[in-house]
Amino acid sequence: MAETASEDLVVETTQLTKIYQNRQIALNDVTLKLERGCVLGLLGSNGAGKTTLLRLVIGLHHPTAGSVKVFGRPMGANTADLRRRIGYIPTNPRFPRGMTPITYLDYMAKLFGLTRNVRKPRLASLIRAVDLLGASASPISTFSSGMTARLAVATSLINDPDLLIWDEPTHGLDPEARRSMLDLIKNLSKQKTLIVSSHNLGDIDEVCNHAAVLSNGHLIYSGPLQDLKGRMRRNHYELDFEGEQKTIARALQAIKTIGEVKYTSLQHRRLTVQLQDDAVAAPVLAQVLAAVHEAKVGLVGVRSVGQQTEEAYLDLVEKEEQRGFTRIYRQAA
Amino acid sequence: MASPASIVKLPSRGVPAAQVEEPPSQGGGSYQPFLPYWAVLENDFFQVLYSWVFRLWVLVMVAAGTGFLLYRVGVYKVTGVVQHASHFLADLTQWTVLVSVALVAVLAASSIAGERGSLADSVLSRGISRFQYYLGKWHGRLLSVLATHLALGLVGLTAAKMFLHEDIHLVGGLAALGISAAMLAVVVSLGVMVSAMIVNSFAAIAVLWVLLYGGGMLLSSLPVGTPSPDWALQQLPYVLKGQFHLEVLHRVVGWSLGISIGSAFIGMTYFSRRDM
Repeated sequence: MAETASEDLVVETTQLTKIYQNRQIALNDVTLKLERGCVLGLLGSNGAGKTTLLRLVIGLHHPTAGSVKVFGRPMGANTADLRRRIGYIPTNPRFPRGMTPITYLDYMAKLFGLTRNVRKPRLASLIRAVDLLGASASPISTFSSGMTARLAVATSLINDPDLLIWDEPTHGLDPEARRSMLDLIKNLSKQKTLIVSSHNLGDIDEVCNHAAVLSNGHLIYSGPLQDLKGRMRRNHYELDFEGEQKTIARALQAIKTIGEVKYTSLQHRRLTVQLQDDAVAAPVLAQVLAAVHEAKVGLVGVRSVGQQTEEAYLDLVEKEEQRGFTRIYRQAA
Repeated sequence: MASPASIVKLPSRGVPAAQVEEPPSQGGGSYQPFLPYWAVLENDFFQVLYSWVFRLWVLVMVAAGTGFLLYRVGVYKVTGVVQHASHFLADLTQWTVLVSVALVAVLAASSIAGERGSLADSVLSRGISRFQYYLGKWHGRLLSVLATHLALGLVGLTAAKMFLHEDIHLVGGLAALGISAAMLAVVVSLGVMVSAMIVNSFAAIAVLWVLLYGGGMLLSSLPVGTPSPDWALQQLPYVLKGQFHLEVLHRVVGWSLGISIGSAFIGMTYFSRRDM
C-alpha cells in the first residue's frame, strides 16, 4: 500500500498521534495508506486505538500531532464536503428518541444536504432493502439490536459514499444477522473502499483483503492480509480422526517415524503435526496420510492451522510485546 | 455505479429481502449547502417543544400570569383600587424573567452538552460542519424560546388591556417585549456557548446559573445608567406607558446583540476545535 501517489489514496495518515489531555496516549505515530478499492480490516485488542483512529479519520477528533488526509485533502472538524463522501457506523450506534426510521433517515439525508427529490426515494429504497418496511412507523427506541444495526447500515449508505468506515459492524448481532452483514460487506467491497474494525478475526479474514494491526496505540502491521498470514510459521496441521483410540495410537507411532515430522501431539481424536521448517509439505503429508491409511484409521478432516488470521494476529502481537525496549526502533516491514 | 440500495440485501429471519428498484438518478443540483444547518435547526426546535423543561416553563408562565391577573382584578373588584396594566405587566415580567432565566438556562445549557457522545457521532460524522451544527442549535433554541416568550407576552398584553385599567402604549408594550426578549436571547446565547464548552449537562447548567445570576448581581452594582438586567427591568413600567427614549431601547438591544454574537463566536470557535 505504500508506493502509491498521494492523490490515488483514499486515506493517508502521517505520524498520527493522539494524546488525550496529556494523560492517555491513544495513538502513537501511525502512518497508514489506504488505496481505492481496498477493504481494510482494523485489528487490535480493547483500547488498542482502533476507534480513536477511525474518529480521527472521520474528523470527530483532532490529532495531537501528525495529519489525516482523506481523498487527498486534510480532514478536519469543518471539512463537511469530505464527510459527504464517507459513510460511518459507530461502535454502538445510538438514535434520537421518538424518531422513526423514516424521520431519522430523512434527517440524516438532510445533514448531507440531499434535496428532497434525491433523499426521499433513496431512503424509501434503503428502508426496503434493509427489511425495515414493516417497522418504518415504529419508534427506533423499540428496535432490537439487529434492527438498529440494519438501520445504521442504511444510514451509512444514504449519501452513496465512496468510503465506508464501519466500527465493529457485527458487534452484538446474532449469527444470522452477522452472516448477512458479512455478505453485505462483500457486495459493497466491489464498488467502495471500506475500513472495518472488528474483534472477530474470522470476520476480517472473510471480508478483508488488507489488514492493519494496532497494539497499545502503535501500528505494528499494515499491508495485505495474505502477507500477514505468511508471517506465521508454516507446516502446522491438524488431523481429526474417528475410530478406536488404539488404532489412532498405532498411526501416531508410524507418523513419528517420518523424518520431516518435527512435533506431534494427540488430544482425544485430534492430532497436531508440525513439520520441519524447511520441509516440502506435500510429500511429507502424503506419507502421513499413508500411515493413517495403513493403520486403518478413519480420517474426518485435515486443516492448516498456521495460516489462520487469528494465529497470525496473536503471533504478531506477541512478538511486538517480546521486543521490549527495542520497540523504540522501527521494525523492518 | 449501482445505487447503495441495489447492493443491500440484508435478510431478516433468514428470508432474503426483495430486490430493490433503482431510485431515480440524482442528476445535477442534488446538494443544498444550507440544508444541514436547517435540518439541525428544525430538529432542535421540535426537540425543545417536546422537552419537559420547555413545558414546565410554559406552564409556570401561564399559571403565574393567570394567577397574578386574577389577583389584581380581584383587588380592584373588592377594594376599588385602580390597577394599572403597566404596573401589572412590569411586575409580572420582572418575576417571570427571573424564573424564566432559570428554566431557559437549563434548556440552553443542555443543547449541545446533552448530545455529547454517541448521539453526536450520528450527526457530526455526516456532511455537516461544526459551525453549521452550532448555528443550527443556537438558532433553534433562540427561535423556540423567543417565539414562545413573544406569544405569551402578547397574550399577557391583550389580557392586561382587557381586564385592567389600560395605560399601556402599543409601541411601549412591544418595546417592553423586545427588551425582555433581548435579555432572554443573551441567556440562550450564553447557555449554548457554555454547552459547547462543557461536556456534562449538569455542570453546564450549574456554570450558566452562576454566570447569569452572579453576572447580574455584579452588573447591578455598577453605576446608575450602566445597562444591566436589573436596570432594564426597572425601566419596564415607563417603557410600557410609552415613556422611553429610543436610545435606551437601542442600548439594551445593542448590548444584548453584542453579547449574544460575541458568545456565539467564542462558543463556535471553541466547539470547532474540540474532540467529540
